[in-house]
Amino acid sequence: MRIKTISRSVDEFTRERSQDLQRVFHNFDPSLRPMEKAVEYQRALTAAKLEKIFARPFVGAMDGHRDGISCMAKNPNYLKGIFSASMDGDIRLWDIATRRTVCQFPGHQGAVRGLTVSTDGNVLVSCGTDCNVRLWSVPRPSLEDSDLSSEKSTEVVHCLFFLITLYSLVLLFILITSFFLSQPSAVYTCKNALLAVDHQFEGDLFATAGAQLDIWNHNRSQPVQSFTSGSHSVISVRFNPGEPDILATSSGDNHISIYDIRMSSAARKILMRTKTNSIAWNPMEPMNFTAANEDGNCYSFDGRKNEEAKCVHKDHVSAVMDIDFSPTGREFVTGSYDRSVRIFPYNGGHSREIYHTKRMQRVFCVKYSSDATYVISGSDDTNLRLWKAKASEQLGVILPREQKKHEYNEAVKNRYKHLPEIKRIVRHRHLPKPIYKAKAESRAMNDAKRRKDERRKAHSAPGTVVTESHRTRRIIKEVE
Amino acid sequence: MGGLKRKPSSSAKALAKSKKKKGPHLPNSILKVIANQKRPLNSDEEDDDDVIGSDDEHGGDLYEYEEGVPEEESRKNNRYDRHDNYDYELPDDFEDENVESEDDDDGGNSDNDEAEGDDDDDDDRHTRMLQSLTGMPSAAFEGESKSKPVLFTEAYPEGEFNPTRDVLEGKNVLTEEDFLAPLEGTPGYQKTSKQIARMRKDTKHVVHAPLPKPQRERLERKAVIGLVDEEFSKWVHLVKKNREAPTVYFNQDVDLGYSTVGAIASEFQPRTEFEKKMASVLNDSEVSMEDHIKDHNHIAKMRSLLFRHEFKSKRIKKIKSKTYHRLKNKDLKNSSLGALMDPEMAKEEAMRQEAKRVEERMTLKHRNTGKWAKRMISRGLNVKYDGPKAAIAEQLQMNANLSRKMNSMRDGSSSDESDDEEELNDGADEDTPSRLIAKAKEKTLKALEDDEVPNAGLMSLPFMKNEEANEEAKRALEEYEEWENSGGENSKKTVNVSGRRVFGATAKVEAPKESRKDSDNFYDDSDSDNDMAGIEDNNIEPVRDNASPARNTITETEKFDDDVAGNPASKTTFDVAMFASGSWKKMAGSKNTESKKASRKTRAPIPQAQDKKGWRDEESEDSESEAEQMVDGVLTSTSKETFEVPSQAELINRAFAGDDVLDEFEKDKEEVLNQEVPKPEKPVLVPGWGDWTNIQKKRGISKQMVQKHEAEKKEWEQGLKTRKDARLKHVIISEKVDKKAEKLHTTTLPFPFTSKEVFEHSMRMPIGPEFNPSTIVGELNRPEVVKKTGVIIKPVKFEEVNPNDEVDDEHPRNHQKQRPKKKTSRRQGKVKSK
Repeated sequence: MRIKTISRSVDEFTRERSQDLQRVFHNFDPSLRPMEKAVEYQRALTAAKLEKIFARPFVGAMDGHRDGISCMAKNPNYLKGIFSASMDGDIRLWDIATRRTVCQFPGHQGAVRGLTVSTDGNVLVSCGTDCNVRLWSVPRPSLEDSDLSSEKSTEVVHCLFFLITLYSLVLLFILITSFFLSQPSAVYTCKNALLAVDHQFEGDLFATAGAQLDIWNHNRSQPVQSFTSGSHSVISVRFNPGEPDILATSSGDNHISIYDIRMSSAARKILMRTKTNSIAWNPMEPMNFTAANEDGNCYSFDGRKNEEAKCVHKDHVSAVMDIDFSPTGREFVTGSYDRSVRIFPYNGGHSREIYHTKRMQRVFCVKYSSDATYVISGSDDTNLRLWKAKASEQLGVILPREQKKHEYNEAVKNRYKHLPEIKRIVRHRHLPKPIYKAKAESRAMNDAKRRKDERRKAHSAPGTVVTESHRTRRIIKEVE
Repeated sequence: MGGLKRKPSSSAKALAKSKKKKGPHLPNSILKVIANQKRPLNSDEEDDDDVIGSDDEHGGDLYEYEEGVPEEESRKNNRYDRHDNYDYELPDDFEDENVESEDDDDGGNSDNDEAEGDDDDDDDRHTRMLQSLTGMPSAAFEGESKSKPVLFTEAYPEGEFNPTRDVLEGKNVLTEEDFLAPLEGTPGYQKTSKQIARMRKDTKHVVHAPLPKPQRERLERKAVIGLVDEEFSKWVHLVKKNREAPTVYFNQDVDLGYSTVGAIASEFQPRTEFEKKMASVLNDSEVSMEDHIKDHNHIAKMRSLLFRHEFKSKRIKKIKSKTYHRLKNKDLKNSSLGALMDPEMAKEEAMRQEAKRVEERMTLKHRNTGKWAKRMISRGLNVKYDGPKAAIAEQLQMNANLSRKMNSMRDGSSSDESDDEEELNDGADEDTPSRLIAKAKEKTLKALEDDEVPNAGLMSLPFMKNEEANEEAKRALEEYEEWENSGGENSKKTVNVSGRRVFGATAKVEAPKESRKDSDNFYDDSDSDNDMAGIEDNNIEPVRDNASPARNTITETEKFDDDVAGNPASKTTFDVAMFASGSWKKMAGSKNTESKKASRKTRAPIPQAQDKKGWRDEESEDSESEAEQMVDGVLTSTSKETFEVPSQAELINRAFAGDDVLDEFEKDKEEVLNQEVPKPEKPVLVPGWGDWTNIQKKRGISKQMVQKHEAEKKEWEQGLKTRKDARLKHVIISEKVDKKAEKLHTTTLPFPFTSKEVFEHSMRMPIGPEFNPSTIVGELNRPEVVKKTGVIIKPVKFEEVNPNDEVDDEHPRNHQKQRPKKKTSRRQGKVKSK
C-alpha cells in the first residue's frame, strides 16, 4: 500500500540567512483560483490609489538668480550639473544633489538667451541680447566623477590617496566659498542680438540663432557658415542628437526649417499658423521632432513628411515656451506660459502629468535629466525647480522585492487602465484655478466650433464642406 | 429670399439696377475722371475689393456708399444653387442710355470693354488734332501715346557709361554687328566675324543668367531634401524595432571602472629595466601557464595519492595479527586480480575451481547439512539474527554456484529464453500429446528448480516451504511418468535436466502460486462479470478436483497454460484455443464433457457461476460459429437469442426514462424569467386593512390598486416579450446585469483595440505572482522602459538592423553581473528586445 506523504528535504527549506524568505509553494491550477480577475482588478485599483497618495513630484527649488530664468543647459556628461541663465545676464552652474550654486559665469551685459554645453561637458557656450557669444570652460566636477578610469592604472594606485585628500580639500573649499567665479575662455561678437544657441552632439560645432543662423567652431571668432532666410529672425535652434549634421530652427515668421549643415540651404520648411517657440528632436528616433507652438499645442513631425503633424499634443492653455525630450525618447516635458509644466508621451495626444506650484510663474525653460528620472524647470520667478519625472516614484535604493512589487503594481494598473474606475482615478489631476477655467473655456469654444462645423456639414451638399484634421489644421503648407 | 433661388434673368437685372441706384452717388463727371485716372494702373482681373482699395488710395476724400454683396452672389454657405451669373448678358452692340453713369464697382466685363472703347475714341480724336496742327503722320503720335509710362528709378546721372532710357526700354541696344560694322574691310574682319558666328551657334559654353533667387532656392531645397530624407530613412528599421520591442532597456552600460586589484594589475606595463627583464622571463618561458598549472595539479594529485597509500600501508603494517596477514595474502592470491594478471595463474585457478565443483557435487558440504547449520535451523537462530541467516544463505548460494552445470554458469535467464523459443516452436508445429506432456514436465521441474534461487534467502526456511505445493509438484511429476509409461506413446524421456536439478527439501513452489489459487477461488465465488475469469475457472477447477497436481501446476502461471494448450486430453483454455485454432473443433467434444463433469464436482459451487458454466457449455456445443466467435477472442456474454437492435429514439427513451428534461427546463426557464422580470403581485384584500371594522361596507380592492396592477402586468408582459429568448423555446438568455461584474467591463471599446475579443483577451490571463510561476512573473510584469536612476542615457547610435530578424524573446534582467559582454555593452541606445 502506498501512503502519500509530504517529503521535504532540509536543504531546500533551510534559509541561508535569517532574513531570507521562506519558500512558499503555489499550486498554479487556475481552477483553484477562480477569482483572479477580480483580485487583480482590486489590486490595480489599490495601486492607482496608492499612486495618487504617493504622488509628490516636487523635490526642491534652486534659488539664487535675481531675474527670471531664460534658459538652461544640462551637462551631457555629468548628471548632477545643470546650467541656468537669467534675464540679467547671470549664468550659474548648479549642483542638483545639493541644490546649490557651484559656479557663476559673469560677463553678459543683457539677457542671456541661449546656453549649451558641448557633449564632453567641458565647454559652455552662452549667447545673449548683447550680441556676444561667450565660451566658458566648465569647472571639473568634484570627487565622484573625476576621470579616474582614463588615467593610468598604476598611477591610480599610487596617487589615489593623494587625490582623495586633494579632492576632499577642493570639496571643502567649494563648500566654504560656496562657488567659483569663472572667466570666459573666448568672446565672439556678432552684429545682431542672439536668441538661441545649441551644440552639436559629439562634434566641434555649435549654432547660434538670431537675425540669421550661424554655425560656429569653438576655435574661430567668425561663424563657419551662415544661413539666412527671410527677414524674420530665427528664434530657436536645436541639433539632432542622432544625426549630428542636421538641425532644426524655428523663426519669427512661423516657419520651422530643417537644415543640413553640410548643405548651403534649408532642406525643409513648414509654414504654420503660429510661431514655434522651441523644437526638440527625439533622441531615440532621429527623424522625429516635436515643436512647441505658441497656440498651446505641441506638434510632432516626421522630418520626411511635413505636410501633416504625426501627433498633436494638446493640454496647455497658453503658449508652450520650451520643450525637452526624455533621453528614453518615450516622453517629453514642456513648460508653458500658463505657469505649468507638463509631461507628454511621445505618441499621446494628452499629457500624463501636470506640475504646478502656487509660486511658480511663467515657465521659460524645461529640461529632462539625462537619466530620465528628473525634470527641471526654470521660471519667471527666478527659481529653478526640480521635479520627479514620475510623481509617485520611490527614490533611493530599492530592494529587488520592492522593485518587483512596484513593477507588478504598474503592470496591473496598466492592464486595467481602461476600466472606468481606475481610469478616473489615474486621470484625475488637481489644476490651478486659472488653468482649470481656461481649459473649460477653451473646451466650450472648441465644442461650439465643432458643433457648428457638424451642422454646416449636415446642411450642405455632401463633400462641399471638408473638416480638416487636427494634424493639418494649424499647418499652412510645406514650403516647396 | 430662400425661395427665390431662380428668377427670370430680366427681373434680376432690373432688381440689381434698382438696388444700385439706392445709395448716394457722385456726379457722373467726377466719376469719369476717377475712372480715367485709375484705368491704366488697374488690370482687368482685379475684383471689387481691390477696386475699392485703390479708390481709397487715389481719392480718400471721395465718399461712396458701399453696397453689400447680395447673399446669392457671395455664395456663402452654398445655400444657393450654383449659378455663374445671374445678370443678364448684354449683347455687344447694346447701347445703354445712361453711359455716363458708371457702375465700375460692379466690374462687369462688358462695361470695362465699353470704357476702353471710350478711351480709344478719345485717343483718336487727340491724334487727329495733333496731326492737323503739326502736319506729321499719325503713326508718330500713336507710338508715343501707346508707349507705357516708364518709371525712372535710376539714381545715377545719364551719361555715356550708364545705360540710357532707350536701353532700359529695350530699344537701340548695341549688337555685335554695330561694333563690327566700322571694321569691315580691315584684314582681321573675316576671322572675327567667323568667330562671332561660331560663338553664336555654340550654346554649350554660354553662361546663362542666374535664376531668380526664390526659384534657385527652391531647386536647392529640393536637392537637399533628397539627401536629408535619405539620412532619416536609414533609421527606420532601428526605430521600428525600438518601438515594437515590448521593453526597451537603458540600464545596460554601467562602467564602474576597475573593481579589483587584479583588474588593475592586468594593465600593468613593464617600464624599468628590471621589470622588463622579469616580464621577459615570465612571458617567454617555454612552458605556458596552462601547461604549468596542469602539471602542477597532476603532481599534487599523485603526491596526495602516494601519501595516502603510505599512510594506509603504515597502518596495516602496524597490525600484529598473523591471521590477518595470512588472510590478506590469501585474499590477494585468490583474487581474480591475480588471475587476470597471469595466464598460468588463471589456469591454476580454473583447475582449482573445477576440483571444488567436483568436491561439492560429491559432498553435502554446503547444503545446510552441517552441524552448525542444523543447529542454527533447529533453534531458529537463523531467523532471529542476521549473521547466521546470511551465512546460511551464503552457503546455499555457494552450493548453487558450484553445482551448476559447467556451461550454464550464467544465470537462468538465458535458459529461459531458449525455452521461450521452444514454446514458440511448439505453438507452430503439430502438437503431439506426449511431447506436450514432456514439456509440461520439464516446466514443472524447472519451476521446482527455479525455486532454488530464492531458497538462499527467507524462502529457504522450513516453515516457508510449502509442503503441499511441493507434494503437488511431485505428484504432477509422478503423473507425468505414469502417463508416459501407460497410455502415452513411448515417448522417450525428453527431459533434459540441467545440472541444477535438485530434488529435495529445498525445492518448493513459489508463493505466487498460492495467491493465484486464492484468486481462483475468489473468482469462483464471485458473480464475476469477467467472463475470462469464469472460463478460467471452468478449466482450473476440474484440474484441481481431479487431483492431478501436474495440471494444477500448469495453471500456476499463464505461461504454462500456453504450453499445455495442445494437449487434447487435458482441459484447454481459451488462450490455447487461440493458439491452436486448427485443433479446436476436434477438442471441443471431449473438453466439454469433461468440463461438465468437473463443474459438478466443484467444492463450493455457486449457482450463478454454475449456471453460467452450464450455459456456456451448451452454447459451445450448439454451433461452431459460436465457438469461432469465442476463438476470435471476443468472448462476450452476448446471448444466443435473436436480438433486435432498438432504434436510436427508443434507446434514448429507455436511457432517460426516469427524468423529464423538457419539463425541468421549462420550470427552470420560468424561474429565471420570474427572477429577471418578476411577475407583479395581485392585489389582495387583507382583512382589517383599508376599512372600518363593521361600520363601513366592504368595498373590495380599490380601483387605484387594480389599475396599478394592470399597468404593472402590462409592463411585465412587455418585458417578457422584449426579451431575447421570448421566441426561443429551448433557450434561456439571461439579461441579468451583475453590478459587481459590471465594474470589470467598459462601456465602449478603448482606443488601441479594434475588437472586443482582443480587448478581453488582453485581460484574461492573470499576471500576479500567485497565479504564475516565479520564472515568468518578471517577464509578465516588465515595464516598457527599464532604466536606472543615475545612469546617463545617451542618444541612439546608428547600427545595421536586419529587418527580417525576429524579435528574440529572452533578455537578461537589469543586473550588471548578468550583462552579456559581447553585444549589449557597447551601446546604450541599442534596444535589447525582450
